Amino acid sequence: MLAIKIWNYFKGYVIIRVEGLTLERLLNLSAAHNIYLWDVKRSSGIVLEMKSSTKGFKALKQVVKKVGCKVTIKEKIGLPFLVYKLKERKMWAAGFILFWAIIIFLSSLIWKIEIIGNEQTPSEEIISLLEDNNINQGRLKYQINKDNIKDILNKNYDYLSFISVTIKGTKLTIEIKEQDLPPEKVDKAYPCHIVAKKRGVITKLIPKNGRAVVEKGRVVSQGDILITGILSDEASDGFMAVHAEGEVYAITRYSSIVREPIVKNEEKYTGNTIVQKGIKVGNKGVRFIRGSIPFDNYKEFEEEKSIINLEKLNIDFPIKVITYEYREVKLEEIRQDIEFLKNSNYLEAAKMINEEMPPDVQVQSKNTRHQVDNGILTTQLIIEAIEDIGRKQIIENRED
Amino acid sequence: MKKQIEDVKYSISKSLELPMDIIMDLPKLNLVGDMEASLQNHKGIIEYTEEVIRINTRIGVFKILGENLEIKTILSEEIIVAGLIKRIEIIS
Repeated sequence: MLAIKIWNYFKGYVIIRVEGLTLERLLNLSAAHNIYLWDVKRSSGIVLEMKSSTKGFKALKQVVKKVGCKVTIKEKIGLPFLVYKLKERKMWAAGFILFWAIIIFLSSLIWKIEIIGNEQTPSEEIISLLEDNNINQGRLKYQINKDNIKDILNKNYDYLSFISVTIKGTKLTIEIKEQDLPPEKVDKAYPCHIVAKKRGVITKLIPKNGRAVVEKGRVVSQGDILITGILSDEASDGFMAVHAEGEVYAITRYSSIVREPIVKNEEKYTGNTIVQKGIKVGNKGVRFIRGSIPFDNYKEFEEEKSIINLEKLNIDFPIKVITYEYREVKLEEIRQDIEFLKNSNYLEAAKMINEEMPPDVQVQSKNTRHQVDNGILTTQLIIEAIEDIGRKQIIENRED
Repeated sequence: MKKQIEDVKYSISKSLELPMDIIMDLPKLNLVGDMEASLQNHKGIIEYTEEVIRINTRIGVFKILGENLEIKTILSEEIIVAGLIKRIEIIS
């Protein structure tokens, strides 16, 4: 039924009112003339309301003449009439199309470029760099190649460890992560803070520029501002931003834990082996099994060999013979010497810390703790060191 | 004579199990609950009001009585009547 209604809508139809006395005759005659009428309703004693296709309505005129009744159009429904109306109101239709065209056009431009995560590289610099490479506000977003942006940034800044470029709606977001730069490399034209690189207890503060906001003995965590670049200006009662500089030394802690079982299982081959063969075609294989494997503990080795060797022609022949070899293994418990184990654990822990620790630190104290628990020796090594924990962070002139 | 032909047609359709309405040119009325009635093989409308619809057929007049009756479709071989149907009479 719905399909017929939609079809009628596309073809267009009229609701007509017929006034007369012999309306039944009209219905019979139009049926005989193959004029399709539907939804015939009697609205009063001498008036019928019905629907008719536009084509049928034209044919109906002759019938009406014969019967002698009055026909008026009550309503015109359908797409053809709508199109006709729009033809009359060309400017309105043009405006409608223009409206959508403008909406689609404006929403396919980049309206904002946002850079997140830059602490040592000023946003303005990145934006002007992108502008030189034809990526700026007001560009069509289909023209922007995300990989291209990544390449440009990677080429110009070798210290970026992570770049992600996303376009959401009309906003281009570039998210970056920077490795720590030596302080001299940060551009002095931009105001910055000095913030803590890691957790520590402050021991010495040498501000060269800017104002220190922490004092000796304070515990600071990562990201805390140590020397601020924002100074209150007494003359104008406002604030001014400077490029903060200085050294901040703090005691930092490194720790590592190594666990090692005292009793160790060592595997030894007994020399007993069992060999089974199989065939592999493509990725699917069949294994020819002869009985189960009589070993309690064993290791499996697999070897593939093509039936026809075509390696010289650089062809991997898909049918292969596989040899499975099972070697019996005997487990032996070996009790290790605790003193020896403590020493090796300590060396392992020291190695782990060395990898983590930057090169220019002064080691203050070393502390090793051993603990035996359920047959496992746990060694904890804690090293306290003094180092410069300052890192420059550019002050963004954002409102928030 | 005419009666005899009718009888022959009737016995043929009976014995061959052919649809009677086609062989004997009879009207066929389909009812959907009390809401819709479709009459095939009609010979024109005699009267149409909201309460009564009378339709001419070969064997007599079908009279459909009800409330708010309306003609959903009218074609040369089929009429579909919708509304609340209360009574159907065949006046031959």
